[in-house]
Amino acid sequence: MEFWTTSIGLSKMRPMPSSLADGFANFIEGAKKAEALGFDGYGSGEHHFMYDEFIPIPLQAMAAAAAVTERVRLSTNAMLLPLYDPMEAAEIAATLDVLSDGRVSLGLGMGYRPYEFDAFGTAKRTRGARLREAMEVLRLATSQDTFSYQGKHYQYENESLHPRPIQRPIDMWFCGGTSLQGARRAGAAGLGYWLANCPFDHTEAIVKEYRQAGKEAGFKESELRIASFKDICIGNTMEEAEGLRKVLMDNFYDEHILGYGYLVDENGKNVYNPSRDHPLYERFIQSLYCGTIEMVVEELEKYEELGMEMMFFPSAQSELISEQILPEFK
Amino acid sequence: MRVGLSWDLDRFDDPAAGWKEVVSEVEQADKMGFHSFWIHEARERAADCPEPSVFLTYLSQRTKSGQLRIAGRRVTRALPPHISEEVSVLDTFSRGRAGLAFASGSSQGVPAAHVHEMIEFVSASWAADEIRYRGDFVRFPAHTPDSAPRGVSYPEDEPDYVAQWDWGPETPDFLSITPKPYVPYAPLNVEINDDETLEWAAQQGVSPMIAADMPTAEGVERLARYRECADKAGRSRREVEVVMERRVALDGEADDHTLGGSPRDVLNAIRKLRGKTGVSHFVWRRNGATPMDFYRFSSEVQVLLQA
Repeated sequence: MEFWTTSIGLSKMRPMPSSLADGFANFIEGAKKAEALGFDGYGSGEHHFMYDEFIPIPLQAMAAAAAVTERVRLSTNAMLLPLYDPMEAAEIAATLDVLSDGRVSLGLGMGYRPYEFDAFGTAKRTRGARLREAMEVLRLATSQDTFSYQGKHYQYENESLHPRPIQRPIDMWFCGGTSLQGARRAGAAGLGYWLANCPFDHTEAIVKEYRQAGKEAGFKESELRIASFKDICIGNTMEEAEGLRKVLMDNFYDEHILGYGYLVDENGKNVYNPSRDHPLYERFIQSLYCGTIEMVVEELEKYEELGMEMMFFPSAQSELISEQILPEFK
Repeated sequence: MRVGLSWDLDRFDDPAAGWKEVVSEVEQADKMGFHSFWIHEARERAADCPEPSVFLTYLSQRTKSGQLRIAGRRVTRALPPHISEEVSVLDTFSRGRAGLAFASGSSQGVPAAHVHEMIEFVSASWAADEIRYRGDFVRFPAHTPDSAPRGVSYPEDEPDYVAQWDWGPETPDFLSITPKPYVPYAPLNVEINDDETLEWAAQQGVSPMIAADMPTAEGVERLARYRECADKAGRSRREVEVVMERRVALDGEADDHTLGGSPRDVLNAIRKLRGKTGVSHFVWRRNGATPMDFYRFSSEVQVLLQA
């Protein structure tokens, strides 16, 4: 099982005022640090028009990281593919893949914030279909010299991608959040599935759904890859770990998940400004795993047994994770 | 005069090897005092770069001083907010060294007005906070009604603050592109191949660029016309940066697109161009000249141009 991470810096945190340019520099230092600490990958998310100046083009940030690293994979988690012309996305990815000697891994999501779709002129209701079509365009563009594609939303005739990426096709993951619906979509299309934060029992259910859909569509087990984003808060005691989780919620997550419709119910409907005792909100909090080193190792072993190819940790406590957790899985 | 470098990437068969050569040359040139490095958008040949902002963001971590300029940016594939955002991101990573030059409409098969709208939108998105834009080719956000004023418009009054995370599913009529560039105004140029764009840019105070594929005599003539139009519109020469990109053949023959002869001949040719056109930024389009030529140009032309 591989371990990927990221770093703070590509947006401002309101409770901790800081310079964005310094944050970008910290992100670059974070890339060097991730490589030195033995992580296998380093990534960036994507949002637009944010008061906190969140990075809008993650692959561009990863180009800066590519210039100062040699080994770590350079990922997006997630790049909001319906907000791009798929060939534009392929060109950005191919450009970075050439610059980085083939280290790009695309975590691709459909997005959920209404104003992002409106600003880019894309109907939000089409995001699922657009993501699947665009991923197929990316696969074709990065694996074939010339291709044609006739989809409902995207059409290309005798198109060629220049430059050709080093990886053919380029490494891609469907970032499907925490809904069973997303898992079914990814499985049916045979796409690698990258889960968002969720508790282990729900993770198990999603993976089961994903594999079932994949098998029914005729994909081999080896083609059905899974990975997971996972916040972990490590303390000497549970109380200390839960204190760290509270800091994370207060400083980042509450603003990012409540009003923008991040939480999605089982019907795929976005939930705006839920109460703090809403089951989806409570499940989200529980997905930020708290424990001691031993508890975290035990928890991660369950993910390994489930067949996770990669776990993506946010930046907090990366030295501790490097020293005490990574060696348990090498 | 500022002096920069650009490259014919299409001369490489292998993009990985070719781009490494360019990166290495940029690292040296940055130390030698060249002012700018320009990557042209292209997508026809093996080693073309369709996304200069990605290449330049990579270079932002390999250089300290030189400006990182996107050249020949097209308006057809990238969506308008992306073009604005990519410059802001590059500018922040490089702490104020980014710039953007658009290709002419005719060179990309679109009406000149499409390029003009994009320039208006991008520059407004950098300079202002919440905006909307209604044009024939650019509309931001998409729900902007036909009744909105043409071009850029701004909120007429400031309602009480509502935190972004409290917006819910409603999309505001005006949005702010973030992040903003590190500097208040990133350099913005347009190729003036089209008469319509030449006149519009001169009137609007948008900086002109003559790219390497235009013959020198034509470039001189177009820049003279640009200045005439700008003068008529009451625009001052100090408002704009006039960029001219040329090939150089040290000890070689001059031709329609190339300045040739000894280093002193090249130096004088560039000075004459400055006199005729007001060129303030000369860009040497590199196409495989030897490392020795590179050093000679730097020490015998570039440094003297700055004196």
